[in-house]
Amino acid sequence: MAEIKGAPLRRTRFLQTQIDEFLDAVSEAGLAYQTALTSYVRKGWSETVEQKARQIRDYENRGDRLRGEIGTKLYTEMLLPDTVGDVLSLLVSLDHLLDVLKVNIQGLRIERPVFPAEVHDTLIEMVVASCQAVEQTVLAVRAYFRDPAAARDQQHKIHFYEDEAERAGLRVLEAIFEAEMPLEEKRQLREHVLRIDRLADLADDAGDALAIFAVKRTV
Amino acid sequence: MTISFLIFLSSGLFLGWSLGANDAANVFGTAVGSRMVRFPTAVLLCAVFVLLGAVVSGAGASNGLGQLGAVNALGGAFTVALSAALTVYGMTKAGLPVSTTQAIVGAIVGWNLFTRTPTDLGALGRIAATWVASPVLGALFAWALYWAVRLVVRVTKPHLLVLDQVLRVGLILAGIVGAYSLGANNIANVMGVFVSASPLSPTAFGPLVLSGAQRLFALGGLAIGVGAIFSRPVMMTVGRSLMELNPAGGWAVVMAQALVLFVFSSARLRDLLVQFGLPPIPLVPVSSSQAVVGAVCGVALVRGIKGLRQIQWSVLRNIAIGWILTPTITALICYIALFIVQNVFELQVFQP
Repeated sequence: MAEIKGAPLRRTRFLQTQIDEFLDAVSEAGLAYQTALTSYVRKGWSETVEQKARQIRDYENRGDRLRGEIGTKLYTEMLLPDTVGDVLSLLVSLDHLLDVLKVNIQGLRIERPVFPAEVHDTLIEMVVASCQAVEQTVLAVRAYFRDPAAARDQQHKIHFYEDEAERAGLRVLEAIFEAEMPLEEKRQLREHVLRIDRLADLADDAGDALAIFAVKRTV
Repeated sequence: MTISFLIFLSSGLFLGWSLGANDAANVFGTAVGSRMVRFPTAVLLCAVFVLLGAVVSGAGASNGLGQLGAVNALGGAFTVALSAALTVYGMTKAGLPVSTTQAIVGAIVGWNLFTRTPTDLGALGRIAATWVASPVLGALFAWALYWAVRLVVRVTKPHLLVLDQVLRVGLILAGIVGAYSLGANNIANVMGVFVSASPLSPTAFGPLVLSGAQRLFALGGLAIGVGAIFSRPVMMTVGRSLMELNPAGGWAVVMAQALVLFVFSSARLRDLLVQFGLPPIPLVPVSSSQAVVGAVCGVALVRGIKGLRQIQWSVLRNIAIGWILTPTITALICYIALFIVQNVFELQVFQP
């Protein structure tokens, strides 16, 4: 009898752990990306960047696996249906962030673009802001599970970093297109800058959705 | 139990069926609408606990209704229940606010007028007061429950998964309590008018001895249970709209409604209040739907001015209109129906 009574709570605890693991994967992938990009911009493709790229790939694989398992469990037995939809939508958004992190670093690995020295500082500033937006999104999602009101308060920080990333990105693009280099190189660099900016945009979109889900769950 | 008795009882059973089809949604709608319980399980739980509530605690509200007028002939009881059923059906079709409770009261007053039996105005006043009191009490209970849940959640900050698990169990329990209270309170609407005229005698089922009234209530409870089988569309509508409040708010509403019905059915609670020198609560049938509306307002009030603005005042106004309109229309229909039954079908509608 105790076995039957204890089972749902044990399942809940296991699922909580899996969700935490998934959020850890997104957060750590964001930090790895920041380290990799900062190093790449200054020193080009190195062993450190290669190692971080591998880590990001592993995080993305783990994230995919966890998202699948969490989704199945949520749908079959755990949450109120309305909440399942919201939680899964958040996890999909975060998984998308992981995908973009992986695609961005793979793009660098394949194309090895060279950024002119005059944009290094601003580009790193942009990378840090984008990664901060990702990190703040993860923090907001963590808060949503415990304290939805706090999750709403987190949203303005995500928006702040998204705005910072966008401003820095514009400055980088202006500098690139003013620099003396062939147009195809400029377009290649623009593509990479926009990819970094996309990270912050996606984090901001997830933050907007989260704010609505948090209102629905605020007791 | 003769066939003719069952034929006379059919109008009450029809009333029970329609009550089950509509009001089962108030008790299990949230649990089914949120897919916590499958519909067949909800119907089974609802039927079992409505039956239990009716047989174990149905006497209180039924006696309360009896004070208004003891319909003492089966033909009269049949007509009274039929008039109430026709009014509920007609007004629902016309989209007017209606409650079985108010219809049955109107029908009994109609019987009193037709048979020239003086209506106990004190009893009528007490019953009418409960119509106002039930949504107000529903609002108070829901406000207190939701406020307490909010406080606990804000202090303990449980994980969303844990909170949802607790709410799942809470909604099923609230449904069970609600079904029991619905049976205990609303069985008076369905079978109350047949009690005085019923020929049923006490029967023993093994160690269990049921009085004549309890056998009647068991039949009514079964009719409500059968009605619940047809409640799926209403259940899904009510469930979804209550869940829009948020799951904790939905729980507070269902629980508050169950408490309101319990308060107006429990003889023990009434006696306890009297012991403490408080005025006795009249045990009479009240409308579960109106208690739900009051409870929804109670949850909205916890949210302060913002919540107050979300209340649809037109719904409350319609309920107030129904307090006058439903009994008046039913009394009129009952008076005419009694005239037809007595003079065209030559059935006895009262014993002088």
